[in-house]
Amino acid sequence: MSYKIPMGPYHPALEEPYKLDMICDGETVSDAKLHIGFNFRGIEHLAETRNYIQVIALMERVCGICSNIHTLTLCQAMEKLTGVEPPPRALYVRVVMAELERLHSHVLWAGIAAKLMGFKTMFMTCFALREKVMDVLQAISGNRVNYSMNRIGGVNRDIEDPLALLGMVDQLEREMVRTIIPIFTTSTTATLRCAGIGILTNEKAISCGVVGPTARASGVGQDLRRAAPYAAYSDFEFNVPVETAGDVRARLLVRALEIMESCRILRQALTRMPAGAFNTGDGKIVFSTGTAISRVEAPRGEVVYSVSWKENSRNPARVHVRTPTFQNMPAIRWMVVGARLADTPLIQASIDPCYSCTDR
Amino acid sequence: MSAGVSVHRRSQDLLHHCAKAARSKVSGSSPSRAGISTNCGGDAVTVIDNIAERLGGSDVRMDSSGVQWFDVGDLGVRELATAMKACRARFVTITAIELPGNEGLRLEYLWDLDGQLLGFSFHLETNSIESIFDICEATDWIEREIHEGFTVDFVGRAYEPLLLREGNNLGVNLREEIR
Repeated sequence: MSYKIPMGPYHPALEEPYKLDMICDGETVSDAKLHIGFNFRGIEHLAETRNYIQVIALMERVCGICSNIHTLTLCQAMEKLTGVEPPPRALYVRVVMAELERLHSHVLWAGIAAKLMGFKTMFMTCFALREKVMDVLQAISGNRVNYSMNRIGGVNRDIEDPLALLGMVDQLEREMVRTIIPIFTTSTTATLRCAGIGILTNEKAISCGVVGPTARASGVGQDLRRAAPYAAYSDFEFNVPVETAGDVRARLLVRALEIMESCRILRQALTRMPAGAFNTGDGKIVFSTGTAISRVEAPRGEVVYSVSWKENSRNPARVHVRTPTFQNMPAIRWMVVGARLADTPLIQASIDPCYSCTDR
Repeated sequence: MSAGVSVHRRSQDLLHHCAKAARSKVSGSSPSRAGISTNCGGDAVTVIDNIAERLGGSDVRMDSSGVQWFDVGDLGVRELATAMKACRARFVTITAIELPGNEGLRLEYLWDLDGQLLGFSFHLETNSIESIFDICEATDWIEREIHEGFTVDFVGRAYEPLLLREGNNLGVNLREEIR
């Protein structure tokens, strides 16, 4: 006999509210239905009531983890509408911020995944490491969550001594290589808990249009930093890790390898940072009528902003945000079908979902 | 020849061409890792040129965002979705834009082909357009979101609440005087 098990909207396994109604036959999930909207704030509509300075602060609050990515994507779109080009140093600072944000997001996810595996020591180790990244973000921006770094025409703050941050990158990489990656990739606990569960096949990944590490763990090898470079990414050498198994372990491996690649990008950006201005100054900003689309590879995947403006208006006519979790979450249904009920918290967490982003 | 038959033939040509191009691209793509083919790979520019050609020639423009915008003419959204699926383009999103006055809405469909964004714009006068959910399941949530935000009816599909709760009023993103 089948029965329905609801998980959420408030549940110990969920970091934010959403609901997964699972139809189970015994301990096996036979179907699932997702419900979101518990964090819906109408931010897109609210953006139309904000001017071009206020809207940056507003969109920074779409997400508490990748706040910098949202302002970066928005500013890139607004720069296309105003014809403003950020100076080279600003593009490098944007890369540094984006990669530090990716590091702290991936390490945070690793900690949460460890907690869901019942691996509390690993959870502590990951969060201690994440704290070091947060310290650097705070040292650069003065803030730990909403960094207020991006503006039209560049960034608000410079990285005065980029080479001083190299020590942090080395230390982070050392910790990753010494503890976190070996434990996640070789320990029996992590392997048995993650391998072969929550499989998203390559065909289903393409069909659902999933993005980011979720897609790359199912053999879809696209990364916008490589496929459609923005900021200064075309200046750097890095690999795009791709796995084919499509299970939770593959998603874990992709993120672990991406941490190493982020360290590699950071090292290049910090050592090669060009001298000069970090923004275009306080000149008058004039918007042209039209729509601009901007895309960025956030820690969870592709973020898309479509921004429309009317000439001589201070406010945008429309701001549409397509977040990676919005695209990835429907695939959870296919990941949990056939899984054991006890594995579903870890499976849904394996896409690193952000419900605030999704609901906006 | 009636307009309907002409559109049908054109979309068939487009499908045939895209599928052929996709097959040649997949066979010629370089794997990003041993044994893996990337989603699209190959020469996206050629495919874009072919799509433009099959859509009626020269009306393709690249905007300042780097998006290739195609003039869809009288091609339906379902034919377009089938063609995009055939050339293995990845669905990105649909953006609904409310036009001034009572001019209705514009829906902008975006697909990604090997890192190149392809844009297709549809003007809606009646707040209604065919759903492509059955062709491209990735559109499920965005169609539901636009239905709730802008009261657009995607014909041929059922809705369940997405961001709103049961009983909430639709049209939360519309201008107040229209809502």
